[in-house]
This record gives sequence, C-alpha cells and structure tokens, in this order.
Amino acid sequence: MNAVKQNWVEIRLRELMTLPDGWGVEEGREVYHKLLGRVEAHPEASVFRVSLGGVRRTDVSFPRESVIELAHRFRAQKGFCLWDVSDENLVENWDAAALKREQPLFVWSRKGCRLLGPKPSAGLRKVLDFALEHDVITTTQVASHFRWTTSNASNKLRALADSGYVLRREQTAPTGGIEYIYQRVR
Amino acid sequence: MSGVAPHDKNVDHAVIRVAANVSIMVDAAVRLLSLLNQLAASTRRVVLEFENMDGAMGYLNRIRFFELLSSDVVVKPRRPSVSMGALRKGQSAGLVELERINYGARAKRLPTKLAERLGEACSERTDEKELTDAAFTVFSEIIDNVYSHVYEERQNELDGFVALQVYKNGNTAKVVVSDSGKGILHTLRPTLTDAKLQRLSDTELVVEIFRQGLSRHGNNRGCGLKASADSAIKYKTQLDVRLPNCVVHLIPARGTYEANTAYCRENMPLLWGTHLCFDFRLGN
Repeated sequence: MNAVKQNWVEIRLRELMTLPDGWGVEEGREVYHKLLGRVEAHPEASVFRVSLGGVRRTDVSFPRESVIELAHRFRAQKGFCLWDVSDENLVENWDAAALKREQPLFVWSRKGCRLLGPKPSAGLRKVLDFALEHDVITTTQVASHFRWTTSNASNKLRALADSGYVLRREQTAPTGGIEYIYQRVR
Repeated sequence: MSGVAPHDKNVDHAVIRVAANVSIMVDAAVRLLSLLNQLAASTRRVVLEFENMDGAMGYLNRIRFFELLSSDVVVKPRRPSVSMGALRKGQSAGLVELERINYGARAKRLPTKLAERLGEACSERTDEKELTDAAFTVFSEIIDNVYSHVYEERQNELDGFVALQVYKNGNTAKVVVSDSGKGILHTLRPTLTDAKLQRLSDTELVVEIFRQGLSRHGNNRGCGLKASADSAIKYKTQLDVRLPNCVVHLIPARGTYEANTAYCRENMPLLWGTHLCFDFRLGN
C-alpha cells in the first residue's frame, strides 16, 4: 500500500515483483514500468521511498534496470531512496548497480543514511553532509554556515543537484524574486 | 573422426563413442550436449554410441541429457526408454538436473534453485548464507546474460543449458552455464574502440570481461559478468570458460581474476557458444 505523508510516497518493491528474489534485465524493466506508473499516479510527491522489505535477494542487473534507472530518469526533479534494507549482500549489489549507472542512491534507516553509488568530491561531500541534516536548505544557509560567498555555495549546491544527490526546486524569496531550495532525498 | 574436428566443413557424419569405463563430469556432459545439438542443427548425421547402457549413459540419463538431446541424434545401442532425470527430478541433494535456457520460457526460479542447492551442499560452512546469496548473484547474472544472447541472436535457435553437480569427495560443486551463441569474444571484439583493449590476447580479454565488465552494449551494461565474477571470487571460485576455439581457466588471485594466473589452451576444436563452469569449494 502507498502511504502519502507530506511530499513522499512509499512504494513496496516486493509488491511489484513476482518472487522475493529479483533478477535480470527483463524483470528489471517490467518493474521499471510498474514503478513509473506509481510515480505518475503521484505528481505531487517529490520523494519516493522504496521499501525493500520482503525482498530476499537481487542481482545487480535487476536494480540497475528498475529503481536506479528511474532515479536517473527523474534526477534533480524527483528523488528515490531505499528503506528497510537489512541484508549486506543486497546493499553490495545495489551499490554496484548504482555505480554502473552513475546514479547516487541513499539507504535510510532509523540510524541514519548510507550513500550507494558514486561518491561526491571532498568539497561537495561536506555540503552534502550539511544538506542531509536538514529537510531543505538554501544557498544563503550554506554560504552562512561555511562562510563562503553566495556564488560559491550556489555552485556547489547546483553541482550536487545535477549529480543526483539532492533535489532542486524554485520558490519565491522574501524579496519577491526566485530562490532555489535544495531538498534531501529522504 | 580422428584428425578432424566435428565442425569441420568436410565432416558430414560424426560418431562419438563413449567407452564402458568412462565417467563423465557435469561440465563435460553439458558441452557434449551442446556440441551434439549444434552438429545436428547443421544437418550432419550424428551418432552417440555407448559401449554399455550403465556408467556414463546412466549418469547422463539421470541429469536429463537425453530429454534435451536433439531427436536427430542417433543414440546407440538405444535411447533410454525412461528419463530418470524427469522421474527423480529434484530428489538428489547434490544435483540440479539440466535445465533449458530458452528465451520463450524463462525459468524464474532457476537461480534461486541453483543457489539454494549449492547452499545446502555447503551447510557445514560458517558462511553458508553469504555463499548462497553470492551464488544467487553469480547464477542470475550469468543466466540472464545467456537469455539476452539468445534473444539478440535471433538466428540462433539452439537452447542454452544449466546444471549443478556436487562432488563431495572432490570437495567441490560444479555449476555449468552454457549457450550455443557466437561466444563472448566474437561478439565483443568488433565493438571495442579502446586501442589497448583491441590489442589484448583472447585470455587477457576474457579476464577483462570478468574484471571490468566490458560489454558490447557500452558502459551502462556489462555489469552482469563482472558482478558474477566479483561474487564468485569472494569464495575463491575457479572459473572455466570454453569459447569457440579456446578454453581459459581463471584462478582467483589477490581478490580478482588475473591474466598471469589464467591457463589458456588455444586452437581447440570448434564448439560454438560460451560455456562456463564455476568450481565452488564446499568447505571453508
């Protein structure tokens, strides 16, 4: 079942799979289309929490062709993250798939988060760590926190969004102009 | 057939004799099955002749060999009247009988079945669960690769095959995945654009296919064989790769497969396809 809370939607991957073990390009593409249907059914949602509860095993091709391909397609507009991942072998295979597609993917648990796929440069990493501590951040907040120029902070946030680490949205600034806000994928 | 290979263009009649005292291991059985079906598909008259109906013939019957053998192949003295593989399918702890890999009939549970049967055979290992999960990755990626080839090479209507056999005395389990396509080197080489890769020998290129995940489909694909090898290497699994004209035996060293620890035999008799045999150790 999909539960809509705030601007995120939960998708239980197991419900889209035939068996608890997912494998292969073909099944990955079948699940991709089912996922796409869920995403299109919730245009208001910006984040999709993909629960791996009940998924026993996957290879590398299955996640690459399903969740990770979808995350790549919607990069910077909509975010996809994983929940309920307890198995290290699953994590390894999803990490390999994310690396192959060059698409970052966060795994969340009550203890915090883990980044799968490509890692940001050291310069971007500390901005990402700061972003992960907040639901949304602005350029002004980052510039103030790190004592950088607004331009420098803006470039780094833009780079993180373009690479798929955070989401980027427009909102009206108190001054009346357009301001970008950056949202963590959680 | 002495002095000539069965696929030679002048051969129109092939007889393969199996002596009475011969034992056939599962990897040899699967390659033999592929060869016979290839020969039969190329309109040659093919005879498989056993000196007696026990021994090797009994084992081949147990693994469903004759069910999957082309009906155009003549078996002497005669084909078994009952398939013991069909009769006792799934009843032996150390065996997964031959399964067909055919794109039109995808066996969704096959990688799970192979991995769990291997896990059961390794139940004395402390890392049985991890091994089973890694084996699932190995088998699913390799089998998926075969499905992809069968689909893409539409002109190739020959099935691929999978089987598993545990050899307790040898402390090993062999898992065989075999197809009758063009072979990974034949399909990959024409698509290579990197000059360094183009200069590699067959052995070196096979190593790189499993180490880097090279794919004729470009960078977004090709993780299958690499993922498969990465999972296999964790358990010191040896990998035998029979290609149309050579065989490369990969032995893990320093956490990877390397060209300088691989054995290669070239100028082998033609056998179409890619025939992989993973050798898993049963004990820690």
